[in-house]
Amino acid sequence: MNSLTMSYAYLRHKSLSTVLTILTFAAGVAMITVLLLANAQLQNEFSNNLKGIDLVVGGKGSPMQLILSSVFHLDVPTGNIPLEEAMKLGSHPMIKEVVPLALGDNFQGFRIVGTTPAYPAHYQARLKPGGRYWGKEMEAVLGAEVAAKSGLKPGDTFAGSHGLTAGGELHSGFPYTVVGILEPTDSVVDRLALTGLESIWHIHEHHHHDDGEDADEDDHDHHGDAEEHGHMRELTSLLVTYNSPLAAVSLPRLINSTTSMQAASPAFEVARLTAFMGTGTETLTYFAWFLIALAGFGIFAGLYNAMNERRYDLALMRSFGARPGKLFALIMAESMIVSLISVSGGLIMGHLLVEVIARWLAGTKHIHMTGKLFLVQECWLIPVSLGIGVLAALLPAIRVYRIDIFKTLVRR
Amino acid sequence: MLEIRHLKAGYDDKVIVEVPQLTLATGEHCLILGASGSGKTTLLSTLAGLLAPVAGEIELDGHAYSGMQSAAMDEFRGRHIGIIFQTLHMVSALTVEQNLLLAQYAAGLPQDRPRAVRLLEQLGIGDKKDDKPETLSQGQQQRVAIARATINGPKIIIGDEPTSALDDASCEAVMELLLRFAADSNASLVIATHDQRVKRHFHKQITIGGAP
Repeated sequence: MNSLTMSYAYLRHKSLSTVLTILTFAAGVAMITVLLLANAQLQNEFSNNLKGIDLVVGGKGSPMQLILSSVFHLDVPTGNIPLEEAMKLGSHPMIKEVVPLALGDNFQGFRIVGTTPAYPAHYQARLKPGGRYWGKEMEAVLGAEVAAKSGLKPGDTFAGSHGLTAGGELHSGFPYTVVGILEPTDSVVDRLALTGLESIWHIHEHHHHDDGEDADEDDHDHHGDAEEHGHMRELTSLLVTYNSPLAAVSLPRLINSTTSMQAASPAFEVARLTAFMGTGTETLTYFAWFLIALAGFGIFAGLYNAMNERRYDLALMRSFGARPGKLFALIMAESMIVSLISVSGGLIMGHLLVEVIARWLAGTKHIHMTGKLFLVQECWLIPVSLGIGVLAALLPAIRVYRIDIFKTLVRR
Repeated sequence: MLEIRHLKAGYDDKVIVEVPQLTLATGEHCLILGASGSGKTTLLSTLAGLLAPVAGEIELDGHAYSGMQSAAMDEFRGRHIGIIFQTLHMVSALTVEQNLLLAQYAAGLPQDRPRAVRLLEQLGIGDKKDDKPETLSQGQQQRVAIARATINGPKIIIGDEPTSALDDASCEAVMELLLRFAADSNASLVIATHDQRVKRHFHKQITIGGAP
């Protein structure tokens, strides 16, 4: 018998309150773990997708929506912008690079994005060996995850369907040919099918003018000939990289006030978004710490009460020669056992929970998370939890020193 | 072995009982008689070192109580004094066997599980070793208390009314056990009681609390 087996015997003796305390404590730890993991992974997802994009130019509307739709491919676009007006921006001296995006279709729920090879290059995406970028219309390059989920290989064909979510009208008359597959990038590109702008225009021109198919065929490689089809060629948005930091001051205002387009700063919008979410996560974090503190009080109350019931046992042990330090250690050991089980249980629960959430989110194809990530911040939970255990046990443990054996055991 | 001189025992600075002189040789037993409230329990607690004497000297095996701080007294008591409290004070979270080992654990002595089992078997409650004490009868608990008081091989076994709650047969059995266990470890038995049935087992008897 030692202080561990003794503590264990006592904890088992009052198993209900022990289990309740451990559950509360572990729930708090699990909650903090989930928040830490989710926060870190969302931040990481944001910063990966934001990489080097200084400004997004798109249709007028909500700037947040523009960022969500064009950078993270989450929301629907704000509306289209005329190609000519958009491309004019490209020659602005403060702008280093513009990447055009044209959205509208999806393949099994993955968005098909009409763009230039500059877009995957922006995310440092590399083609898998044997692949190439699109050279002509209706050639497509698949992101890593799209390829994995669909099982398509270079040379295979697929048809996009209308709209940004699965289940729209199928463009079966215009199959894409896969010409390349990208290596995983840990960014949104993994979940996109990329093609030339012309392919998107091509499909939608035909979509609107079903009878003109054959006659139009030759014109598609030429820019600016949209007029022929009775409407202007359009883009969904433009991803802009600045040449000089000064651009951030003047360019958005210039675009917003002098063109029909809207400019939104991803950094600013994401900061706004995390501020919204931040209030939520902050509240949850406080709540989680509240749970842990509550569990701490649970241990405290449990031990304090136990101290009253156990006064006789402790006095008895003193009468058998146990030094107060030994009993102090016994009470501390009891609290440490509870804290240790709670914190390890909580960490495991937290990771499992994130993994479950991740599995569930994987179905929605938007946000990628895993419960198998371990953060340095989590390590702090262990000493902090043990510290709470020590604090909770301190007062009851100190009372051991003041037990009067005679008055407790003999004269009652 | 046990030397008492001019002892005034009591608590909160109040003298309850006085013993001018008492000497016990090794293995010599002594019965303390007296009506309830005469201070038997106070005297025993003082002998056990649970209560500091108000005045006078106690010496056990050459160790004067007055020379020991409370932690040292606890340790000394753990190794040399076995106590059977009037209220038995079993630890209900532990099994019967663990209750015995508790005495060794508390005293910081090596835990001798076979000895604990052997003691319980000698007391006829070997089959109860894994039970919780509250499932035992009063007489069985009394035996556990005896085993617990003797497991560390004390020099003196102090018992406060160890038989008063028992019927005649159990009383005899408990007294026999106590005497046998005391003899085994060559310990002195010091028993306080008002139980007349115990008297015949003791040559040395002192009566406290003024006129009998």
